[in-house]
Amino acid sequence: MTVEYVDAGEAIDHGALSAASGTAPAVANNVNYKRLLDARSEPENWLTYYGDYDGKRYSLLDQINTENVKRIGPAWIFQAGSSGQIAGASTYAFEACPIVVDGVMYVTGWDGWFWALDAKTGEQLWRYKHAVPFDVSLCCGNVNRGCAVANGKVYFVTPNAHLLALDATNGKKVWEKTTGDVRAGESATLAPLVVKDTLITGSSGGEFGVRGHIDCWDLETGEHRWRCYTVPKPGEPGSETWPADGEAWARGGANHWVTGSYDPETNLYYAGTGNPAPDFDGEVREGDNLYTDSVVAVDVDSGRIVWHYQFTPHDLWDYDSTMEMILFERDGKKLLAHFDKNGYFFVLDRTNGQLQHVTPFVDRIDWGTITRDGRVTARKYPDKEGEPVHFYPGPAGAKEWTHAAYSPRTDMFYVPVADVGATATRRRREFKEGMPYWGAAVQVDIDNMAGSVSAFDSHGEEKWRWRNPHPMASSVLATAGDLVFSGTPTGEFIALDARTGDELWKFQCGSGHHGSAMTYSVDGKQYVAVPVGWGGWLEGIIPGMLGAGHGDALIVFALPE
Amino acid sequence: MATVQERADLLNKLGLDAQNQAAIGRVLGTGSIARATERADGTMEATIRIKEDEIAWDPAILVLPHGGDVELTIINDDKNTHACLLPSNGDKKFIWLLNHSKGRARLNLDGPGYYWYSSPGGNDEGRGLTAAIVVLGEVPPEARLDRPDQPRR
Repeated sequence: MTVEYVDAGEAIDHGALSAASGTAPAVANNVNYKRLLDARSEPENWLTYYGDYDGKRYSLLDQINTENVKRIGPAWIFQAGSSGQIAGASTYAFEACPIVVDGVMYVTGWDGWFWALDAKTGEQLWRYKHAVPFDVSLCCGNVNRGCAVANGKVYFVTPNAHLLALDATNGKKVWEKTTGDVRAGESATLAPLVVKDTLITGSSGGEFGVRGHIDCWDLETGEHRWRCYTVPKPGEPGSETWPADGEAWARGGANHWVTGSYDPETNLYYAGTGNPAPDFDGEVREGDNLYTDSVVAVDVDSGRIVWHYQFTPHDLWDYDSTMEMILFERDGKKLLAHFDKNGYFFVLDRTNGQLQHVTPFVDRIDWGTITRDGRVTARKYPDKEGEPVHFYPGPAGAKEWTHAAYSPRTDMFYVPVADVGATATRRRREFKEGMPYWGAAVQVDIDNMAGSVSAFDSHGEEKWRWRNPHPMASSVLATAGDLVFSGTPTGEFIALDARTGDELWKFQCGSGHHGSAMTYSVDGKQYVAVPVGWGGWLEGIIPGMLGAGHGDALIVFALPE
Repeated sequence: MATVQERADLLNKLGLDAQNQAAIGRVLGTGSIARATERADGTMEATIRIKEDEIAWDPAILVLPHGGDVELTIINDDKNTHACLLPSNGDKKFIWLLNHSKGRARLNLDGPGYYWYSSPGGNDEGRGLTAAIVVLGEVPPEARLDRPDQPRR
C-alpha cells in the first residue's frame, strides 16, 4: 500500500527564521553624487569606503576625544556566525569597512554576506546571502572589504566575481552582473565606488595569472560603461615593457583589488594595481611590466589611463600597490600619498603623476633601494632556480592592504606598519589557467618580526611610533578628536593620541583585527565601529598567528550614557 | 588507479558506503550522482531524497547543466525527521522534513562551481546528510578576459 507523503511545503528563506524584520528605513534614497562629493561634511555618516573620495579615513567627529576616550565601551555587538560548509572556511576574515547613512549601517562579510543594521542598537534589519561556490579560487581568502550606496541601492561584489545592486530598504536584488571569470582564477573583494552616475570596480586573482582590469557600470541598470585593462595588449602603450614574444602580458596580473580614490577636479580615479604574475619568476616576463605595482590615473568618463607611476618596476617580491592613494594638498599643490608594500612612502603630483619625493617608512628594507628622487635598484631577489633568497619586507609588504589615515588637524599620516621578512626560492612552473602561478616556494618568517602604528609628516619624517610585537594588519582611523584607532592581530582595539602616539585606551575584542574601523553618530552620539575577524592570507602576513581563532563580530563603542 | 567498479567494491569492502560501519557517518562524496533535467524555459528540475536508515542524500552529487533557476523536489523516506538547508542567491533556503514527507525548493545559483547543502539538524550534522550541487558551464562571454585562450589542463 502506498502511503501519501506528508506535505513539507516549500523551502523558505533561512533569514525568515531570525529576528530580522526584513526592512530598513529608506535613508539611502537621497544619497546621490552631490552628497558623496561632500561626504566629510556629514560626519554623522560614513558614505563611501574611505569616508570620502580623498581616501583620508578621517572624520570630523570629536565627541570622543583624547580626554574621554578612556571611558568608551561596547554599545552593541553584531555576530555573524555561519551555517553549513562555506568556501574558504579556513581563510574567512572580517575585512570590511561599514557604511552608515542616517542611522542605518550597511556592512558586508565573507562568503557573499550583506547585512543592514540599526546603527544605534545593532538590530539586524535585513540580510542578503549570495551563494558562493565552495570551489571558487580565493585570492587570497574568503573576504570582502565593503559596499557602496547611492540612489536607494547598495552595491557589493561577491567572491565569485559578481556585482550586485540591492534595494537598500529590503536587500532584494535589483540587478546583477558577472565581473570576472572564476575558471580563470578571477574573484572580487573590493568595495565598489560610486562616481557620478556610475560604479567603479576591480578584479582579484593576481596569484592566478589573470589580466587585471578596472570596470565601470551604470548605477541604475548595471550596463557596462567601460573596462580598463591594467596590462596592455601588444601594440598598446606600455606593451614595450613586456616580452615581445609569448603571452606573458596575458597572464600579467596588475589586479585592482582595493578601492581607489577620486578627485572630481581632475576627473581622475586613482587606482592601485597589484603584483605581476608569476610573482617571483621575473625571467619569464622581462621588462618593467606596466602597469603592475602602479597607480594608474583613470579618466572616469572614458576609462583611459591618463598617467601612471610604477612603484616597483619588474617586481620580484609580490609588492602590490593596490593600497589607498590618499589625496591631500600642500603649498597649493594637489598631491597623492601612497605607502607601498615595498617599504617606501611616495608623494606624487596627482595632476600629472610627477614624483615629489620618496622616503622609507619601515626599519628593514633590503630587497633594493629607492632614492628620494625615485631611482630603483634591486639587490636581493629569487633569480636562480632552487636557490633560497631572504628579503625584507616579505610579500605581505611593509604595509599590507589595510589602510593608513591622514588628519588635516595634525598634518600627519598614520600607518599600520609590518616589519617581517621572507624567503623565496624560485621554482618555475608552466602556466595553467586557474592554477596558482607564483613561480616560487615562499616562506614568511615566523619570528623576528615587529609592527607599529607610525606617524609621518607629508615629507616622510617620522613623528612618533606606537610599537607592537606583531606586524599591524588592520586599517587606521583618524578623527577630529585627535585620536587614532587601530586593532592588533592579537585582538586589542587601541586608541592613540594623534599628536604623540601615546596609548590612551584599549579593549580586547577576542579575535585579531584585519579590517577597517570607522566612526559615525546617531542622535548626536558618536560611535566607533570595528569589524573583528582574524583570517585572510595569514601565511603571508603573520604565519605565527595562523592558528589563532577566527572571529566574526562587529563591535561598536561609545561613551556611556 | 581504481576503476569505477573497483572503487565501488572497495568502498563496500571497507564499509564506507553506509553509515555507522567504517566511519560513524557517510563520508562525503561516496554516494550516487545524477543530472538535473531541463524544461524548455531553461528551468532545471531534480529530486533529492533521504532513503530509509541511510542518513545520506541521494544523489550525493546533483549536476546542473548551467547556472540559473532549479526546482527541487525533496523527499524524506526515512523514519526520522530531518531538514534541508540549501544554497540560493538572496538567502539560503530551509525546509523541515517530517518523517515520510515531500517538499519543494526553488534555488537560483550562479555557477560554474559546486555548492554543499546539508541537513542542519542537531542529530544530523556530520552524519552524512551533506551533499553537493555541481553547476557546469562557463561565465558569460562578456565576463571573460580579453586574451588568447590559455592552457587549462
